[in-house]
Amino acid sequence: MDRQRIHILLLEPSHIVSEGLSHILLKSNHRFSISQYSDLKYLDTIIKKEQNTVVILNPSLLQNRNKDFIKIKNTYPSTRWMALVYSYFDQDILRKFDEQITITETAKNIISKLIKISQHQKIDSSNQQATLTERETDILIHLIDGLSNKEIANTLSISIHTVISHRKNITEKTGIKSLPGLTIYAITKKIIQLDS
Amino acid sequence: MYLVRKTYISPATEVAELINENYHLLLFLEHLNIDFLVYDKTVKQVCEENNIDVNVFIVLGNLYNGLFPNKEEIHSLKDIQLIILFLRNSHLYYKNEVYPKILNYISILREHNTSNDIALIERFFTDYFNEVVEHMEYEDKIVFPYFTQLLDNTQDTDSDFSVKGYREHHSDIEVKLSDLKNLLLKHIVIKNEHTTRRKFLHTLFELEYDLGIHSSIEEKILLPLIENIEKEHSNG
Repeated sequence: MDRQRIHILLLEPSHIVSEGLSHILLKSNHRFSISQYSDLKYLDTIIKKEQNTVVILNPSLLQNRNKDFIKIKNTYPSTRWMALVYSYFDQDILRKFDEQITITETAKNIISKLIKISQHQKIDSSNQQATLTERETDILIHLIDGLSNKEIANTLSISIHTVISHRKNITEKTGIKSLPGLTIYAITKKIIQLDS
Repeated sequence: MYLVRKTYISPATEVAELINENYHLLLFLEHLNIDFLVYDKTVKQVCEENNIDVNVFIVLGNLYNGLFPNKEEIHSLKDIQLIILFLRNSHLYYKNEVYPKILNYISILREHNTSNDIALIERFFTDYFNEVVEHMEYEDKIVFPYFTQLLDNTQDTDSDFSVKGYREHHSDIEVKLSDLKNLLLKHIVIKNEHTTRRKFLHTLFELEYDLGIHSSIEEKILLPLIENIEKEHSNG
């Protein structure tokens, strides 16, 4: 869907804090979409596999749930985790987060941390132009020819993992995900000929 | 389209006020067969007059305001038939209104342009459209009747329905729509026809907005409710 939008899942047991933070974020003119939850147990069902998801989480919800947390974290490697802190927590817990905000922080600070952290997850963010590398172009051509990831890996003598990561970069750079969409992209950029 | 303010809809809120804040709710009312002339009536009053379950109104309406229900709210929804009606009506809206409108824009662009790229877009959209129509018909003819039977407890055991296949199809529909938008915004060069292109894109965004809500109702609300009922039945 919308790549530029930052999807925020806010897990905070206090309704007042949760509403307050949402309000600040929504007023900020940045493109945030926010869902609020009061408990960790919903988390696994609500993370969308979208880029740009940041979970803001009150670490007190992690009590006795450390294992679940690690598991969810590993399931969604591109999601970023931010601790919302207003009481004392052990550094061991806070280290599990990518970033933390405290309740006394200014709105400006919170927002800039959020934006920074969400951009962090972009692969190759220094190389955001829509031009593909030679390797990516090769892979795109093979994809359009109908080869599977495995077949591409064999043809180019690279690992399947590398193919997948190239594919991810192709989608990041072009904004196009489906095969028919990529085909049109390749034709308009003259990477392939219409009749081939 | 980007939500910078959100109002949580509650039974005492005035419907006209809600629409003034977020006019996309007009479409929401239409999907529920509610007329737009709402006077000063509250959500509760409008629901009573239209024989609409107020909880369903609130949960679905809040989705249009960018607010997602929690598990308790989802599982407190009783009128599942109303949710199905809403979804069927939105199918009609896509099929009879939005898609023909898009096809019309594409044909205008084609008329005034010799570029091959537009032909590609047309092909892409037609394929996509056929896929969507097929999916909607599958829902209207197989999925929803199956749910209705389940609700009436009259299901036959060998339905064609599979939750997994159902979920996968949705993400595909949204991906292609987003691809189309990005092709137009980033890659395809179309000269002139500024107004038509703006209308075209505008329609795509409107469609994406409604379709996104539509899918989350199906996946995050309707399916869990149905799975619950299936479970109850197999336990009973």
